[in-house]
Amino acid sequence: MGRKILLVEDDRETAAYLSKGLGQEGHSVELATNGQDGLFRATDGSFDLIVLDRMLPVLDGISVLKALRAAQIDTPVLVLSALASVGDRIEGLESGSDDYLTKPFSFAELLARVNALLRRREARVDPADHRIAVGDLEIDPLSRSVRRGGKKIELKPREYLLLEYFARNEGRVVTRTMLLEQVWDYHFDPGTNVIDVHVSRLRRKLEDGFEKPLLHTVRGAGYMLAA
Amino acid sequence: MPTTLRIALLAGVLALVSNLIVLGFIQYRTHDEALSEQRRQVVEQGTVLADVYRTGGMPALVDGIEDTVTYGDPQTAVALFDAKGKLVLGNLAAMPTTHGAVREGYQSALIRLEHQTAPREAAIVAHKLPRGEWLISGRTVGYGLALRETLERSLLIALIVAILLGLVCGLILAQFVGRRIGTIVAVTDQITGHDLTRRIPVSDGGDAFERLGRQINEMLDRISGLMEELRMVTDSLAHDLRSPVSRLRSAAHAAAEASDPAERDQQLSSVVKQSDSLMRILTTALEISRSEAFTSRSQFSRFDVGQLGAELSEMYEPVAEEAGATLRFHEPEQPAELFGHRQLIAQAVSNLVENSIRYAASGETIDVTVGEDGRRLSISVADHGPGIPEERRAEALRRFGRLDSSRSEEGAGLGLALVRAIAHLHDGELVLEDNKPGLIAVLHLPLRGA
Repeated sequence: MGRKILLVEDDRETAAYLSKGLGQEGHSVELATNGQDGLFRATDGSFDLIVLDRMLPVLDGISVLKALRAAQIDTPVLVLSALASVGDRIEGLESGSDDYLTKPFSFAELLARVNALLRRREARVDPADHRIAVGDLEIDPLSRSVRRGGKKIELKPREYLLLEYFARNEGRVVTRTMLLEQVWDYHFDPGTNVIDVHVSRLRRKLEDGFEKPLLHTVRGAGYMLAA
Repeated sequence: MPTTLRIALLAGVLALVSNLIVLGFIQYRTHDEALSEQRRQVVEQGTVLADVYRTGGMPALVDGIEDTVTYGDPQTAVALFDAKGKLVLGNLAAMPTTHGAVREGYQSALIRLEHQTAPREAAIVAHKLPRGEWLISGRTVGYGLALRETLERSLLIALIVAILLGLVCGLILAQFVGRRIGTIVAVTDQITGHDLTRRIPVSDGGDAFERLGRQINEMLDRISGLMEELRMVTDSLAHDLRSPVSRLRSAAHAAAEASDPAERDQQLSSVVKQSDSLMRILTTALEISRSEAFTSRSQFSRFDVGQLGAELSEMYEPVAEEAGATLRFHEPEQPAELFGHRQLIAQAVSNLVENSIRYAASGETIDVTVGEDGRRLSISVADHGPGIPEERRAEALRRFGRLDSSRSEEGAGLGLALVRAIAHLHDGELVLEDNKPGLIAVLHLPLRGA
């Protein structure tokens, strides 16, 4: 189902590219080309998500974000920025954004993050950590135990966190950097395939002895857990 | 107003003020109440006699002089001289001797009283009467008076001299300062004109100008060092980016030429891969300069390095295994807390571990150890790979100083440079040692506020 997304971006090419892409995903996109306009439109709180460029004319992205949060508007905000250093990312996240993506990015990466933020908004109404089921996979967040087809699967603590993150984003693409940021809480870019190795280990544990694959590789984007 | 003139005036005024203070002090200490009292008496006696003459004429004056001589004390001197200076009446032997001719009014003089042979110091008042006679009246005094009067005159002269000297001193000082500053300015002018090799000539002296010169020279050394480094980084960045960019270009070209859709897809994904690796190089280069500039110090927090090491080891353990190596973590005996940038330290350690996995590998162990000796904390990553020969270690730490000369492989040789920059951000150091065989890379980080 389509959502209302406010895109605050002054670069015309990026704005057109994002509007088109998000539109094709079924979302309705409204565009603001400077910070002041963006803040003005965002203040009614009617959007499901705000994609906010960090460097904007009139009022910069971080100021817009701080003003929104000060006005108690808790619409999820995804900050886009050409400021790519670890320090910049931390600063962006600490100023109240829900996610931070550095330019240049692939559309797949942006879309995955947009979907994760939209899903998090839905899930907010249900804080109780009930069992999560994906096909014949059953996860109990309280005891951190995992069963598939009734058979218990032993996971290391980090593997469990990885699986839980996948399960909470069931049917949605999750990228490698999202996993690194959300599961490991690291905001740098490792040179090696460290995430792939962990995912393939988890996949072996989930799928060994079962016919149906659960953890899928999405080419050019990341992974997806789906029955 | 030019600075030189201002310095001259300032020095002049200062010299004047200090001289005035000294002169004032002398004046204050030597000024004698008796002196002015005596003067008052002498003037009064003279005025009385002059009044007597004015009211009673010459006969009354003669009486007055005689009375004064008769009843006055031995110090009293009073006499009337005719226009030629010949004594008419009184107890003086001759006309008083002064510095010049006797003049109207109060003055000090040498007088000889009758019956005395030696002249004595005296304060006298001289009145010229209408017919040219001189009425002299006064008192002999001790030597002190004359001395004091000389002193007071001298003080006045000294004051004038002091003003002149102050101005001269000021001018000389201004000239001196101006000349010294002038040399410095000449050099800095040339530096502003892009000749960074110039230095201010300094000798071994320790005066302020020498220190200033040395300070400026040190600053210039640092600036030219930075400029040199900047030039090197820009050069090597421009140079090292050529190969990834040309690979990107040829992949794009191949994609454009490809007629087979499958082949085009493959080429396009290679384009994306190449641009990603290009981005990674740029991000790392940026991260290095950010760390060297200490901009992220505001994000420091206290965290447990032992725990971070354990997490990272757990994260890389499967990667090492995949590469055929074993990764072991050795935790510190007590919790090792550091006030630092958790994300950047994590990145530094992960760079070291990735290096070890990349260059060492098969069948070997990689040891990650966190230790603490109360003063500083150390994180070491040791492998048994080929290592780096001692003479090439400095090069390995430099930006773009990758040791394998073939630049086709991924990674542009920024890894260790970034780790070192992160160490510097924490006032620490990255040390490369020999593991015999292999490499030990140690991050030494001083503990702050512990």
